Amino acid sequence: MADPTATPMLTLPPDGLSELFARLVQQGWRLVGPTVSNGAIIYDEIQSPDDLPTGWTDRQAPGQYTLEKRDDQRSFGYVVGPQSWKKELFLPHEVVQTSSLNNGTFHWHGANPKPTPTAFIGVRACDLAAIGIQDRVFLEGTYVDPHYQARRDATLIIAVNCTEAGALCFCDSMGTGPQARQGYDLCLTEFDDYFLLESGSDRGKAIATQLPATTAKPEQQAALTTALDNCRQQMGRTLNTDGLPELLFGNLEHPQWDVVGDACLACGNCTMVCPTCFCHSIDETPDLASGPAVRERSWDSCFSEEHSHIHGWSFQPTVKDRYRQWATHKLSSWHSQFGTSGCVGCGRCIAWCPVGIDITEQVTAIQHSPADPAPLPDFKPITWHARKDPLQAASARIEHITQETHDVVTLKLQMPDNYRDQPGQFNMLALPGIGEVPISVSGDDGGAIEHTVRNVGKVTAAITALSVGDALGVRGPYGSTWPLDQMAGRPVTLIAGGIGLAPMRGVIRHLVSQTRDPATEWVSVIYGARDQNALLFNNERKQWPTNPAVKVAITLDRASAGWRGNVGTVTTLLQRKHQPVHGIYLMCGPEVMMAAVIRQLSLDGVPPENIYLSMERNMKCATGHCGRCQYGPHFICKDGPVFSYAQVRPLFGTPGF
Amino acid sequence: MPDTPTPSPRPRLGVFKLASCDGCQLTLLDCEDELLLLGEQIDIVHFPEATSPGQPHGPFDVAIIEGSVSTPEQRDEVQAIRRNSTILLTIGACATSGGIQALRNFGDHDDYRRIVYAQPEYISSLATSTPVADHVPVDFELRGCPVNKHQLLELITACLRGRTPAIKNESVCFECKRNGTVCVAVTQQMPCLGPVTHAGCGAICPAFNRGCFGCYGPKESAATAQLAEQMRANGQSNEAIKRAFRLFTAGSEAFRKESQRHE
Repeated sequence: MADPTATPMLTLPPDGLSELFARLVQQGWRLVGPTVSNGAIIYDEIQSPDDLPTGWTDRQAPGQYTLEKRDDQRSFGYVVGPQSWKKELFLPHEVVQTSSLNNGTFHWHGANPKPTPTAFIGVRACDLAAIGIQDRVFLEGTYVDPHYQARRDATLIIAVNCTEAGALCFCDSMGTGPQARQGYDLCLTEFDDYFLLESGSDRGKAIATQLPATTAKPEQQAALTTALDNCRQQMGRTLNTDGLPELLFGNLEHPQWDVVGDACLACGNCTMVCPTCFCHSIDETPDLASGPAVRERSWDSCFSEEHSHIHGWSFQPTVKDRYRQWATHKLSSWHSQFGTSGCVGCGRCIAWCPVGIDITEQVTAIQHSPADPAPLPDFKPITWHARKDPLQAASARIEHITQETHDVVTLKLQMPDNYRDQPGQFNMLALPGIGEVPISVSGDDGGAIEHTVRNVGKVTAAITALSVGDALGVRGPYGSTWPLDQMAGRPVTLIAGGIGLAPMRGVIRHLVSQTRDPATEWVSVIYGARDQNALLFNNERKQWPTNPAVKVAITLDRASAGWRGNVGTVTTLLQRKHQPVHGIYLMCGPEVMMAAVIRQLSLDGVPPENIYLSMERNMKCATGHCGRCQYGPHFICKDGPVFSYAQVRPLFGTPGF
Repeated sequence: MPDTPTPSPRPRLGVFKLASCDGCQLTLLDCEDELLLLGEQIDIVHFPEATSPGQPHGPFDVAIIEGSVSTPEQRDEVQAIRRNSTILLTIGACATSGGIQALRNFGDHDDYRRIVYAQPEYISSLATSTPVADHVPVDFELRGCPVNKHQLLELITACLRGRTPAIKNESVCFECKRNGTVCVAVTQQMPCLGPVTHAGCGAICPAFNRGCFGCYGPKESAATAQLAEQMRANGQSNEAIKRAFRLFTAGSEAFRKESQRHE
C-alpha cells in the first residue's frame, strides 16, 4: 500500500476528472478506459469523462451479463466487463518476427515495437494484480518478451478502488482486492460527490500536483475504509484457498473433473477473458509474394485440441483433460511456476462461460470430498534474464548430412562461435515460411553440432530434405541437461527407444571417452527399435564397446531375415538381471516405454532420484511464454526436457497431462 | 536452401465444381491482387468459374473441389479427380459436409423430386448429398459458407510451401474474443452456435449483433448437446434448436445428430 505519510491522500472534486484526463492527453498519453459498447462495459480509446459508463452498472450471473442504469451518476459504478488489460499489453494478434534469406543466410528481424504511450484508466485491483502476474510470465523469467516489455514500459496506470462488488467477484478470497495496493501511478476511489486520490509513483505524484486536489479530511479517509469493508461484505463468490494448490494436485482423479468435463463446451471463452491466461500460438502467415516470411502470435487456449498436439498425438484429447489442465494450472501449478496463484478472483470466466460453469463451485465440490493433498515443487525465482529477443534464431549452415534410415537424417551444422550446449538440451530448428520444431542436440563436435531428425510432419519433412550448404535457423540451446556430474563411480544404464537414442548420443559419447572401471562403473546402453532398418548411428554405435566398460544391447520389435539379436521390448532386456539400486538410469523414448522401464526399475528398488528421463510436448516458443509444453507444474522447455523421475513422478503416466 | 533454386515446372492447379452455388470459387476469384501473385507461382489449368475451356483431366499437383456429391456422375468424378491429383483440397460447406442440399438427407428423396420437378423421371440424383471425403481421401477440408479468402490463400500457400496451414480447429468464440466482440449469448441470451462451430469466418455475425449460424460446421469436440441444453434454458423451443443445427452444415455428423435429437 502506498505509504499515506509520504503521499497524503487527496480529494478531487467530481470535475477534477476532466482536468486529469486533459493533463494526460496534454502529456501525450493515449487514454484507454471503460466505455459502454454493445451491451457491455469494455475498455476502449476514450477522450474525456463523457466517454465513461456514467450512471451504468453491470449485473452478472454465471453465463449472464447485463447493463443496468444506476440510481446515481457514478462513472465507475460497475465491476469488470468481458475485456481485460491484457488486450493492451499481450495483444490478441501480433507480428513477432520476419525473416529473409540473403546470400545463403537467414536473417531474422524482431518487430521492434514502438508502442504509443498509453494511460489505462480505471484499472481494478484484481486487474492490477493480473498485470503483475503477466509481468512475471513475460518479464521475470529466464527470457524477456520484448514486445510485452515495450508496451508495459509505455503504460501509465490509473487504478480505481472497488467500493461495490459484483455477484461473481471473489478478489477478497484471492487477496488481490478490492483495494489497489501497488503497481499504480494514481488510484482513485469514487464517492457521490468527490474522488479520493492516491499516488503510487513519482510519475503519479507529479500529475497529482497539477490537479485541483486538496488534502483529504479525516472523515473522507475513514469513508474509504468503510467503503472497502462494505465491498468485501458484498463479494458474490468465495474461494477457500487454504492449501488449495496441494489439494488440487492431489485430486487429479477426482470425479468432479468428469462432471465438469461433461458440462464444458471447450469453447475457450474462459481463457480468452481471463486476465492472466497467457498461452499463445506462433504461426507462419500467408506469404505468396517472395517477401520476408512473417510469424505471428495469437491468443490460444488449453481448451483447443491443437494446444497439446504433437505429430499425430494429443496429450489432452478429452474436454475433461483440458478443463482440468486449465483449473489446476490456474489455482495449483501456477504457484510452482510463478510463485502466485494464476487466479485474481475477477469472475470473468464464470460470467462469460456460455453455459455458466463456475470455477469456485468446481473447487468447492472437490474440497467437499477430497483425496489427500500432494506436494508441489517450490517456486524458484529467476535471477538472470536474457535481454535479447528470445525468438531470434541464428543462421547455421549444413556441413554434412548422414542418412541414418529412410526417414531419419543427421545434420551437422556449423554454429556461431559463442554457441555452447550440454548433452540433453535442444534447439528450435527453423525454416522461415515453413515453421519451427524443437529437436534435441544429438552431438557436439567443436563448433559444429548435430541434430538427428525424423520426418514426421511438414517442418521435419522440409528439414530432412535439405542439402549440404543450405541454411537452417537455430535458436537455443534450451532446457535441462543429463546429470553428467552424477555418473562418476557408479554404473550408468541408458535406455533408448527409437529416435530417443538421438538425445542420448551426446552423453554416451561423453561416457565412452572416459576411463571407467568395468566392474563398478560400467555403462550399459539398451536400445530398442522398430526393426533393423530403423537402427540409428550404425557405424558409431559399433565403436562404443571399444571402451571395455561399455556394453550395447539392441532389441527389435520385429526381427527381419538375418537378425540374430534380441527381439522384444527394452524391459525384457532389463529383466535379465537385477539392476543395481545405486546405478543411474537415463531414458528417452515413447512414454509408454519409459513407464514400463520405470516400473521394472522400481521393482528392483531403484529410487526415483536415480532415474532420469527426457520428455516431449508441443512447443512454440521454447522460452516459457507460449504455455503449450506445460506438464503440471513444469514447463518441458525450461524445466525439462530432462527430469529426474522424482520430479515428475506425481504426474507421470496420468493421462491428460 | 540454395539462393537460386533450379527452375522447376510450376505446380498445376485444377479447380472443380460439384453440387454447389459457386460461391467458394468466387472467393478464389475475389482474391484479386493475391490471385495475380498466385498466378505467377502456379498454372491454373482448370477453373470453370474463371476460364474456358479447361483441362479437366489432369494430372494436378493440387486439386480444389467445391460442392457436394449429389449425383452418380459426381460420385465418379471425385474418383477421377483423386486419381489425377497429388494434393486434394475440398472447400466450403458443400464439399466438407454436404451443404444446404444435405437437408434432403433428412427426408425422402423421391418425395422431394416429385414435389419440386414436374417430370421427376428426368432427374438423376443420389438420395443423399455428401461431402467429398465420404468418397475419397481428402488432404485438407477447408470449412465455410463460403470459405474465407484469407484461409483459402493460407491453405494454397501452405501447400505450395510444404507447411502446415495455420488454420485452427477451434471455436468461433476464440475469434470473437480476439476481436474484442461482446458475447451476444451472455449479454442477450441469443442463440449462438459459436461455442461448437469451427472458426475461420472471423466471427462476423456476433460483430453485427447476431448469434453464430454455424456456417463452418462443428469444431472438434463439439459439445452440441450441452449447448442445446443451454439454448433450451434460454427459452428456445425444440423446433428452433433443431433448425439452428440444420443449416448449411446440417449434414456434418455432430450437427446432424444434434438436430435429430430435437425432432
